[in-house]
Amino acid sequence: MSFGPKPWHQTNWDFRAAFNFMFGSAGAGLLVVVAFSGVAGGALQAEILLGMALIGAGLISVWFEIGRPLRAMNVGFNPFTSWMTRESFAAGLVFALGLAAVWLASQPLAQAVALAALVFAYCQGRILQGAKGIPAWRVPALTWLIFTTALAEGAGLFVALTALFDTPARGALGYFSLALIARALAWSIYRSGAAKITVPAALAALDRSGKILIQFGTLAPLALLLVGWFAPEVARIVVLLAGIAALATGWQFKFVLITRAAYNQGFALPRLPVRGTR
Amino acid sequence: MNAPDKAAPLATSGKRATYCYQCVAGPDLLTVKVEDGVATEVEPNFGACSVHPGGGKVCVKAYGLIQKTYNPNRVLTPMRRTNPKKGRNEDPGFVPISWDEALDTIAAKLRAVREAGLLDESGYPKVAANFGGGGTPQSYMGTFPAFLAAWGPVDMGFGSGQGVKCTHSEHLYGEFWHRAFTVCPDTPMCNYVISCGANVEASGGVVGVWRHANARERGMKRVQVEPHLSVTGACSAEWVPIKPKTDPAFLYALIHVMLHEAARERLDLEFLKQHSNSPYLVGANGYFLRDAATKKPLLWDLKRNAAVAFDTPDCDPALEGSFACDAVEIGPDAEVLAQGRLEGSPSFARLVEHVRPYSPEWAADICDVPAKTMRRIANEYLDHAQVGATIEIEGKTMPYRPVSVSLGKTVNNGWGGFECVWARTLLAVLVGGLEVPGGTLGTTVRLNRPLAERLESVTPGPDGFMHYPMNPTDRENWSQRPNIRNAYRTMVPLAANGPWSQALGPTHFSWMFQKETPKGLPTVTLPEVWFVYRTNPAISFWDTKGVSATMARFPFVVAMAYTRDETNHMADILLPDATDLESLQLIRIGGSKYIEQFWEHEGYALRQPVVAAQGEARDFTDIATELARRTGLLEDYNASINRGSAGVPLKGESWDFSLNPAQAHGRDEIWDAVCKAASAELSGGKEVHDLAWWKENGLATKPFAHADWYLFPTLVAQGLRFELPYQERLYRIGKELGKRLHEQDMNWWDEQLAEYQVLPKWKDFPGLWEKSLISMGGKTQDFPFWLLTSRSMQYSWGNNVGIQMIHEVADNVAGHRGVIINTGTAEKFGIADGDKVTIATPQHSVEARAVLRQGIRPDTLLLIGQFSHWATPYAKDFGVPSMNSLVPMSMALTDATGSGADVVRVSLKRMGGAK
Amino acid sequence: MTRWAMVADLRRCVGCQTCTASCKQANATPPDVQWRRVLDMEVGEYPEVKRVFVPVGCMHCEDPPCMHVCPSTATKKRPDGIVTIDYDLCIGCSYCAVACPYQARYKTDRASFAYGKATAQETQAFDPKRLAVATKCTFCVDRIDAGLAKGLTPGIDPEATPACVNSCITQTLSFGDVEDPNSNVSQLLAENQTFRMHEELGTGPGFYYIWDKKDREEVL
Repeated sequence: MSFGPKPWHQTNWDFRAAFNFMFGSAGAGLLVVVAFSGVAGGALQAEILLGMALIGAGLISVWFEIGRPLRAMNVGFNPFTSWMTRESFAAGLVFALGLAAVWLASQPLAQAVALAALVFAYCQGRILQGAKGIPAWRVPALTWLIFTTALAEGAGLFVALTALFDTPARGALGYFSLALIARALAWSIYRSGAAKITVPAALAALDRSGKILIQFGTLAPLALLLVGWFAPEVARIVVLLAGIAALATGWQFKFVLITRAAYNQGFALPRLPVRGTR
Repeated sequence: MNAPDKAAPLATSGKRATYCYQCVAGPDLLTVKVEDGVATEVEPNFGACSVHPGGGKVCVKAYGLIQKTYNPNRVLTPMRRTNPKKGRNEDPGFVPISWDEALDTIAAKLRAVREAGLLDESGYPKVAANFGGGGTPQSYMGTFPAFLAAWGPVDMGFGSGQGVKCTHSEHLYGEFWHRAFTVCPDTPMCNYVISCGANVEASGGVVGVWRHANARERGMKRVQVEPHLSVTGACSAEWVPIKPKTDPAFLYALIHVMLHEAARERLDLEFLKQHSNSPYLVGANGYFLRDAATKKPLLWDLKRNAAVAFDTPDCDPALEGSFACDAVEIGPDAEVLAQGRLEGSPSFARLVEHVRPYSPEWAADICDVPAKTMRRIANEYLDHAQVGATIEIEGKTMPYRPVSVSLGKTVNNGWGGFECVWARTLLAVLVGGLEVPGGTLGTTVRLNRPLAERLESVTPGPDGFMHYPMNPTDRENWSQRPNIRNAYRTMVPLAANGPWSQALGPTHFSWMFQKETPKGLPTVTLPEVWFVYRTNPAISFWDTKGVSATMARFPFVVAMAYTRDETNHMADILLPDATDLESLQLIRIGGSKYIEQFWEHEGYALRQPVVAAQGEARDFTDIATELARRTGLLEDYNASINRGSAGVPLKGESWDFSLNPAQAHGRDEIWDAVCKAASAELSGGKEVHDLAWWKENGLATKPFAHADWYLFPTLVAQGLRFELPYQERLYRIGKELGKRLHEQDMNWWDEQLAEYQVLPKWKDFPGLWEKSLISMGGKTQDFPFWLLTSRSMQYSWGNNVGIQMIHEVADNVAGHRGVIINTGTAEKFGIADGDKVTIATPQHSVEARAVLRQGIRPDTLLLIGQFSHWATPYAKDFGVPSMNSLVPMSMALTDATGSGADVVRVSLKRMGGAK
Repeated sequence: MTRWAMVADLRRCVGCQTCTASCKQANATPPDVQWRRVLDMEVGEYPEVKRVFVPVGCMHCEDPPCMHVCPSTATKKRPDGIVTIDYDLCIGCSYCAVACPYQARYKTDRASFAYGKATAQETQAFDPKRLAVATKCTFCVDRIDAGLAKGLTPGIDPEATPACVNSCITQTLSFGDVEDPNSNVSQLLAENQTFRMHEELGTGPGFYYIWDKKDREEVL
């Protein structure tokens, strides 16, 4: 075991925690876009179920990481200050409203689910940002990067799923494009914040991942959408690819964020001790 | 007599008082909490903090004692070897046997030896014994010393670390010059310390560390001069990264500045005149000019303007100039070299001339230290010396000189050690700072007697100096036939003939000469029986492969075994002795003792069984008694205990607790008598406390005068001078020794004989190791690094490499996981932190993980501690090498005191090639 | 009010790890769990390099991030400033561990012992409650509470003082009430210049590092 004093990588959260952020935010993002996309009936029900399944998968994954899984319900004891508790409440709300929405195939309920999902995605951002011990996480802009990537991943997933069956609506593609641009902007703001407080190894990992996020997760999908715009005969396939790219790059970024860029604070001395004489 | 503070929670509250003496800087006084018969927690004995000079605190090593007790890797039954073949690659095939079988086997062997004669055909003792840890095993071996005393001649001169791993030159020259087996600053009052490689923060134990922490906070400046930034360097005000083994040049440059650049008045001229041999007139042949009738050395009295005997009252001796007088100059073997009207100059004048060439500019290239740094340090030393100041301690007015120079291992042993120790002691003498408050002090004696009373060891000797029990070099008394294999009496006059002299000789000779004994010495033989306790020379000595191979030839080895290890791998019988928290012993504490143990109390402390012994482990006292009984030595054994071999004579002025010599006594009975005698001695016979009292109280003390830390008043009272700066006596002895050896056609010690000098000259000391490299078939450019070692406080002396907790906490200190390499050097060699590297001499190589640090010279590598275990459970999985596997054992690297040094030239390569 | 705090005098520390060892023993922590430990830091480049030994552990922050993030309320702060963990509530999510800027928290999922199998000492000290939950330095809160109940003064009376402080061979570590202007630690803070680790993060550590004395006029 290494104790530093130079920052070393945290070992507390591994891929299981990363999965929660990957699946959870994609699921939340999907629930948001589904609710306002005009999808109805069986498709609405299926996609809400998928969104909830993703959130559930993330939570189950993290359940496998916690030391005392049988006490998992204790997670709800601190809504006053803990964003983890709040995330769990948001997830509960998503599930409760989501099941009702599915049961009733109700669009208004689906929209309520979307609001809960937005809260859930925001909570996930705040969870990371509240981890003061990890400089790459506590950058304030990370909340919005996590939030926007949730929207982008959800939108990507939605348009990709839609493209499997039909040509996605322009509104959905427009929303998808905006989410991608918002995510890229959030990345840019986050990156400049992270550069100030993270160690070189963490920043290098973030940059490698961020490059993928921008090139393959923003520019490529936008280019593909343009191709689809001008070449309708390939629109479905390029939208499918664009959606997958947006989702996959978001996931890889979060995987890296949790498991590769999460160097801890380490220790630093603002003053050196005087030994005998100054 | 003081019992510990009443607040001390001892046995009744589930805490038991005991001591830890795992290292030479002990003992530490502690309590152990016991719950339901299980030891759970070590704590300082808070009841002892008022008498202990380190606040009653306890070293990190002691916290490992509980795990040591319950270590599942312990040997817990006597064992017998079944494989007659011995060697590293042979499985000993140890099988458990009963205590009866084990003791009977040993006793039968011993009786057979005794019947055939105690000495072998070469005149060496057939029985040998090794105890490591700088004498600390004696605090654990109960009454075994009484058994050895009853036995008769025993060879205790097989090295397991002595010489190459100890501060050897300091031991010998230190005792000679100021009754200083080890030397340290008077830290509580010192304001400026030049520390050449002394690693007190790692080796000074609780007391050393405690005193230096206080001094730092008080503002004492310490300049650490060493090739790597040790723990002590870290805690110093300044680090001077000097090239290895060039410290004599550095110190000579300081002396040069003081003698050739500073005003004379800045020196303590009064001290030089009255308390050193500075004014003694030296003749043309280098010997003192003496009064023809009395043979007393002469000095030139400026008041009378005439030469007078050194002890003439009311004179003002000249320190410089040249004077003609009627005198005689006497050389070796009392030969008169000159007589009549002779020209002589004070030895101080000789000194001034001697150091003229050694300017800071001269030393700068040798040491790789800027001249201005050395000049500044010399002047800072003078600035802080407060020449002329006095201080009153307990009613005695003494000079106060708050400056000191301390030396570390590898600086004060091996070639160059003499020069460093001389220069250091001289630096004290020049400002009158030797053995006075604030200055440079000796701690204790081990070569002079009495062992426990340093000041009482001072008696008048020749020429106004202290007596020293030198091994004789005159034709009639020189010991041509050594009493033990390392030939200390024959080869090393300064090793003396004191209690510890066997261990302070050239202890590697016992191993090295097994291959071939040099001309003139009786053939060095294998001991017929070898006892080993708390030592592991197969790991801790130099050329460990060679040492292991030699010990594999020993015919009968009895090892007291805590766990299996690399030395007891060659044993025939393993005996599990009860360990630290399981056994019983009373030891002397207090007074003054290394490394910086200066107490204002003295007395005794008890080590008592805190928990029941694990398995079949037995108290060493019971083992010794049984061995004595079965060997037929019971009466002599008991008589030895009665005389005091258990630490205190059982019969005193008004008390007698002697044991019946004819009877075998149990452990508690023996120590009960010792406890009673100790308390009687402490109280002058007024109080007698039995074992039960000591178990309850743990320790008892009486005051020890602070003023007795200093030797100076004793010398003044006896009208004696320090034998510095001029080494006429050593020079003469060296000449005589040379004659004796040459008379026997023994010419293999000639290089060493050159070390006997009146004023030591600088030699190219690093060059000696480069020559050694070349003799091994290497080229200096291919082996560009100096490999050094440094002490690990967590491990040193502790016999504790198998303790998981110690390993865990030690790993927090940089370097415990591999070899420390300068970051810039590593970059050039394509080595990243954690990479595997190969470190090699032309003969051997080891592998290590790279630990990159800024705090080390680019030409230096550092391997902390001594690892590379291959048999010790747990430790054998460390994967950390030791420099002991690389350091060659050779006559060329042996100095005149019989010591080597921990340094070797090596190459460095990244395994798999540079990145 | 009382605010227990630790003061470490970096001028005195030699990195001996006695506090580390005593803490491990007093608190029976498993291998590789060190609630108190001492860092061996290097600052600068050869030859202008300094090496500093820095005791670290839970800083018992005024505004502890670990407590705020804890979803189960297992981590709490007592009125006397000591940050505690309720092992019965903790779910072992490690959120506190990543929230702590001092790397002070540990989680051991399975029982582990020095030599594989538990020794007698380890068997006696083993507490299954500590498995798979967050653990950290408690300031030896049990000693403090028991000591206070006996009328003892933490930081002065060994029985009421954290084990690391009792063991410290350089008097680097001091413990006491910083709200009491006459306490040992208050006096140290008044006489010396100090900093706290990562002060810029606003956690308000209850752990002060002395690096130099104050000049006389500053003290006055």
